[in-house]
Amino acid sequence: MKVVVIGGGWAGCAAAIQAKKCGADVVLIERTDMLLGLGNVGGIMRNNGRFTAAEELIELGADDLFRIIDKCTRHRNVEFPGHKHAYLYDVTIIEANVRRFLLDMGIKILFETRAVDVDVDNNHINAIYLHNGDKVEGDVYIETTGSTGPMGNCIRYGKGCSMCILRCPAYGPRISISQRAGIEDILGMRDDGVFGAMSGSCKLDKSSLSEDIRNELDSKGVYIIDVPKEDINTEKLKMKVCQQYALKEFAEKIILLDTGHAKLMTSYYPLEKLRKIKGFENARFIDPYAGGKANSIRYLSMAPRDDTMKVIGLDNLFVGGEKSGLFVGHTEAIVTGTLAGYNAVRHVIGLKCIELPSSLAVGDIIKFENESKKKKDGLRKRYTFAGAEYFERMKSLNLYTVDVDEIKRRVRKLLLNDMFKEKLI
Amino acid sequence: MYKFVECIDAGSEYCPCHLAEKGQCIICSQLQNKVFCDCLYWKGTCIYHELLNNGNKAKKPRQYRKFDITKIDKIRDDLYLYEIKVTNYLLRELDNYGAYVFLKKPNAPDYFSTPLSIMDVDYDKLTIKILIKVHGVKTKDIIECNDKIMVKGPYWNGIQGQRFLRNLINKDVLIIGRGVAAAPGVLGSRKLNINNNNVYVMLDPGKSIQNACTEYYLKYKAEVENLSIIDYKSKKITEAFKLRINELLATKDIQVILVAGDDEFNRKIINYIYRIKKDMYFASVNNSIMCCGEGICGSCQIELSGKYIRSCKQQYNPLEYYLVEDDLE
Repeated sequence: MKVVVIGGGWAGCAAAIQAKKCGADVVLIERTDMLLGLGNVGGIMRNNGRFTAAEELIELGADDLFRIIDKCTRHRNVEFPGHKHAYLYDVTIIEANVRRFLLDMGIKILFETRAVDVDVDNNHINAIYLHNGDKVEGDVYIETTGSTGPMGNCIRYGKGCSMCILRCPAYGPRISISQRAGIEDILGMRDDGVFGAMSGSCKLDKSSLSEDIRNELDSKGVYIIDVPKEDINTEKLKMKVCQQYALKEFAEKIILLDTGHAKLMTSYYPLEKLRKIKGFENARFIDPYAGGKANSIRYLSMAPRDDTMKVIGLDNLFVGGEKSGLFVGHTEAIVTGTLAGYNAVRHVIGLKCIELPSSLAVGDIIKFENESKKKKDGLRKRYTFAGAEYFERMKSLNLYTVDVDEIKRRVRKLLLNDMFKEKLI
Repeated sequence: MYKFVECIDAGSEYCPCHLAEKGQCIICSQLQNKVFCDCLYWKGTCIYHELLNNGNKAKKPRQYRKFDITKIDKIRDDLYLYEIKVTNYLLRELDNYGAYVFLKKPNAPDYFSTPLSIMDVDYDKLTIKILIKVHGVKTKDIIECNDKIMVKGPYWNGIQGQRFLRNLINKDVLIIGRGVAAAPGVLGSRKLNINNNNVYVMLDPGKSIQNACTEYYLKYKAEVENLSIIDYKSKKITEAFKLRINELLATKDIQVILVAGDDEFNRKIINYIYRIKKDMYFASVNNSIMCCGEGICGSCQIELSGKYIRSCKQQYNPLEYYLVEDDLE
């Protein structure tokens, strides 16, 4: 039995690993020369409710990626405004580690290969067409192509291509597979009512910063300094994808996190203004390359799905990550991707697809996002364990905890511990 | 069957064109009055971005320029070989699969514009060679040119299915041509030869004893044989050709065939070979009538799976265009 995963970001990697663990043959199609997509410039794990979600998933048996991430972690228990116990992984080494793991598992990865169309019959996908006209056939497909870019969307809904890590000009644009299969995409909105949202952070080359800043980043993982009063721009917050980082503090202060590069917690920052700040005189952007101007635009390509992650209206397409909803973050991608991978296999062998229980944060967020999206203003919100509305919900439902034993107890009570380790075929 | 959508001009210095400006871009969904990206074919540039950067205006289209005719060979009463000296830039741009230009007599009105394929290029002499068969009023007008001629170019859509030819290296490739339509195949064999491919050529001489392109194919180290391929009285593929093609397909590892004849020839050959070898890729010469070459006038419009396309700009899969359900034999 063959599972075809389209898109090699965190969600796609999680889906591929899970399908492989269930016993399927897995092919992963990746447009660029690297896995992880935006995971190559992210780096924040386990902040706020993400801690709970990560430990839940580990106890459920989907621990593989978290083990790799922990191994590549530079800083543990970092605090910055609105966020507690964040772990910061090293974005400069994470991809090679994840890639080795997938290849060692026997997952076939087609790099620099772009899925461009589908062969679909009666709501059933027969094959995926690649950019060169080749066909990839499978029994079931998982789309984790994300929702970022391509260039035209960044132009129409943002400030143009900012040359982000996705490198559309070099590798070609993302294509919405579900849309090509006849299922119309859902579009997210931002506060000002415009479609799409802008990625919320950029990266500075750490060696372009002053020695003091570098030392503080290396030792503490975080560096905070006030934005000059005349340069405070709270309007920028409305455009942001990451509502958990759209607090007032993020407009009034420059917050740097050490993820190997210096992660600047704002969508973009004009270079001239940035260089006026002490210690930033030589600063330069490393992602996006035009971080002084803009950042990538996201959430323009979500497929309608049920809570098992199957696309509504298609027989054999599952989704994970941003493709599956207004989720923000690596942890959220791994959660949704893992469930998509698991259910894809169950679906083909004739078992009923499962939903994760809402007594766990990882199950609750999937259902909550789906319900909220249908409500007025639901498309303006983002759903993450790390903040905004969903973290408040986690707290009010007592889902949030950093007590690992308690998390284990919750999963075991449901008799679901190590469920993702089960071989199904 | 996989349907590729490709605009030959996308990403070139002539893109975005008037189609993009008017919301009828072949490739870009944002320029088809939609509001999201669903890019049909990526050539390394975002057409939407290019249009905005160009002030929402099409790039300047190709213009006629006057060039010197350096040589005219009269091969037959109705067949001429013109050699024209062009600029280095135009020569370089015309050294591509499917390259063609529009020709007309100086001072002739624009409706005398005739599309003609480039058969050969010469970098030392900066000349292009064009085989002209006199058909009607436009070609009759052109052969009145003796020293100066108007040339508009470069255009590239003279061969369809170019994607199957472009990346071939160290492969066996077959060209099957008839008459003057075999001329664009010469430039193709030049490119194939540069990439170290073995090129086999089967030429139907048409009305001549030997196809006029023969010596040019030989120049690019192709193995050429002249034989009757289609008997135009009975409208059937000849037994001699059937024998040879079956032999060739059995002994060589041919995965791509360029078919270079008129539409009837192309259809017969493609259908015959497809039924022998279903995984064969085909390229073909583009026989559409062209007047402007810019996707505007509509004379080159053809129907492809129920949709109309402008074949002067848009690439198609020749198999999709020529394959018919009935066995033509």
